[in-house]
Amino acid sequence: MTVSQTGQRKRSAKDFTWKNILKHREKYILVLPGLAWYAVFAYIPIFGLSLAFKKYMARMGLFGSPWIGLANFENVFADPAFLQSIFTTLRINAGRLLFVFPFPIFLALILNEVRLGRPKKILQSIFTFPHFLSWVIVASIMVNILGQRGMVNSLMGGLFGAKPVSFLGIPSYFLPLIYLTDIWKSAGWSAIIYMAAISGIDTEQYEAAEIDGSTRLQRMWYITLPGIKPTIVVLFILAMGYLMSGGFDQVFNLSNPATIRVAETLDMYIYRITFRGSVDFSFSAAVALFRSVINMVLLFTADRITKRFGGSGLLA
Amino acid sequence: MNAKVKKAETGFRERFEMLDGVILAFLLVLAAIIVIPFVNVIATSFASQKEASESALLLVPRQPTIDNYYRLFQDPRILIGYKTTALILLLGVPINLILTTSLAYGLTRINFPGAKFLFFAVLLTMLFNGGIVPMYLLMMQLGLTKSIWSVILAYGVNTFYFIVMRTYMTTLPESLIESAKIDGASELQVLFRIILPLSKPIIATILLFYAVDRWNEWFNAMVFLRRNDLIPLQLVLRTIVMDSTIVNSLSISGPRVPRFTEGIQTAAIIVTMLPIMLVFPFLQKYFLKGIMIGAIKA
Repeated sequence: MTVSQTGQRKRSAKDFTWKNILKHREKYILVLPGLAWYAVFAYIPIFGLSLAFKKYMARMGLFGSPWIGLANFENVFADPAFLQSIFTTLRINAGRLLFVFPFPIFLALILNEVRLGRPKKILQSIFTFPHFLSWVIVASIMVNILGQRGMVNSLMGGLFGAKPVSFLGIPSYFLPLIYLTDIWKSAGWSAIIYMAAISGIDTEQYEAAEIDGSTRLQRMWYITLPGIKPTIVVLFILAMGYLMSGGFDQVFNLSNPATIRVAETLDMYIYRITFRGSVDFSFSAAVALFRSVINMVLLFTADRITKRFGGSGLLA
Repeated sequence: MNAKVKKAETGFRERFEMLDGVILAFLLVLAAIIVIPFVNVIATSFASQKEASESALLLVPRQPTIDNYYRLFQDPRILIGYKTTALILLLGVPINLILTTSLAYGLTRINFPGAKFLFFAVLLTMLFNGGIVPMYLLMMQLGLTKSIWSVILAYGVNTFYFIVMRTYMTTLPESLIESAKIDGASELQVLFRIILPLSKPIIATILLFYAVDRWNEWFNAMVFLRRNDLIPLQLVLRTIVMDSTIVNSLSISGPRVPRFTEGIQTAAIIVTMLPIMLVFPFLQKYFLKGIMIGAIKA
């Protein structure tokens, strides 16, 4: 984990004698509750995914059901809704990388140019606040202001005499809705990490550039932006690691029967087949295992690549 | 000192360029896009149906009324929501904190047999998890579905918060711990007398992290509980908004459906959002610290 681990400590850590274990017994007592939680509520579900290769029988439970090989996967890959959900997930998340990802960078760059301390703080508070609300609340607000009788429609009607539009019920509006609400909710929060990176840039560079007669836009473009480039690269690669996951809360709360065709991501699909309609837990487990493996591969790859770029990544 | 400030101020005034104006104007527009929906929701919740439907942009109701709130609280689900969420918060957050703090301190130094393996096992859950399907079956098998404990136990340690807390604890001076141990203090005494008092800022931060997460919980409750007398507030809000949206789109007007659905919806939003608004000033102070510590790591 840290560089400070000396050879001596490493040796004692490997020393599995009773004497050594007894010496550290208090440590074991300390970590026991937390580790017990991980064992039951993280690792049992992980091993429970073995259900993907079994036929689930309620009375035999998660680990007692009989093995049936790859039959579940054959059914999964034969389901067009499954394949469609993968495509939908990739489409939504690729759009996020393209439209949502750059916004916090831009926001941090221009917030950094605000030279009045107080307005800057107030603005930052406003931009950060929605992050702390759940998607249930944010979606409720959006349903309210974007609805047929909502603020946006009545404003458009009042100003231009426009007819009310059902922003949430038109499939072609769904992706823009996802991106815009995502920016609305979390751009301010995501900008914080870039602001921190900006504050780490050596001020001498700015002074030197100023003496050389550069404009502020030039300094933003040639000093600030390159200064935070490592942060941008690391966060972009990590975001690629989440290409097949994330956004369930948002999509679930903003979609409705009218838009479900373009909104059923892999996680939404898993929810539907598991908790709505005919329930086949083995089938669900096969999809869930597929999801977990894909996500792990993506995240692990992203993690390794960020380390090459000098980030410390997710894992130590 | 004073002269310096003055100089800086005049310096600023001299250099106030077009660009400052453009940037400030742009940021103000962005801020308005975030603030106006909130103002509109608050105003609608205090407005009558007549006023809400007549004004193009309702920001301040001319004749404020608490009718919407009165009718909202006639819905028994709101009180059920508050009770359930309070229960989840009061039982859940202490468990979250105890598990996370003890684990973070226990694994601060990887210097006991098996520690490296255990630490890796914890981190691995960030890359690989079972997801909701086996979790649901596990809860069924434990007989916890329909019990509040399913929601409480499903979220025990957040691995990211664990890392933040552990990172903070590794920065505490080791000499303090060593000298306490030479004086014969046990590991638990070190934790309670030295580590916890020194870790107050990070514990406060993580406490707020967990409290907000618990307040915002809805998915686990939706999947595990399915009981009419045990619904967290978030889920009540969701039901109220979804119900009235469906009612609106189908134009059903039954006797039990209140007419001014937007009024009730917005009142429900405010009621669910209010606690977060009230703790936001504290959140900001501590969360910024938290994300900075996290950022150094990540």
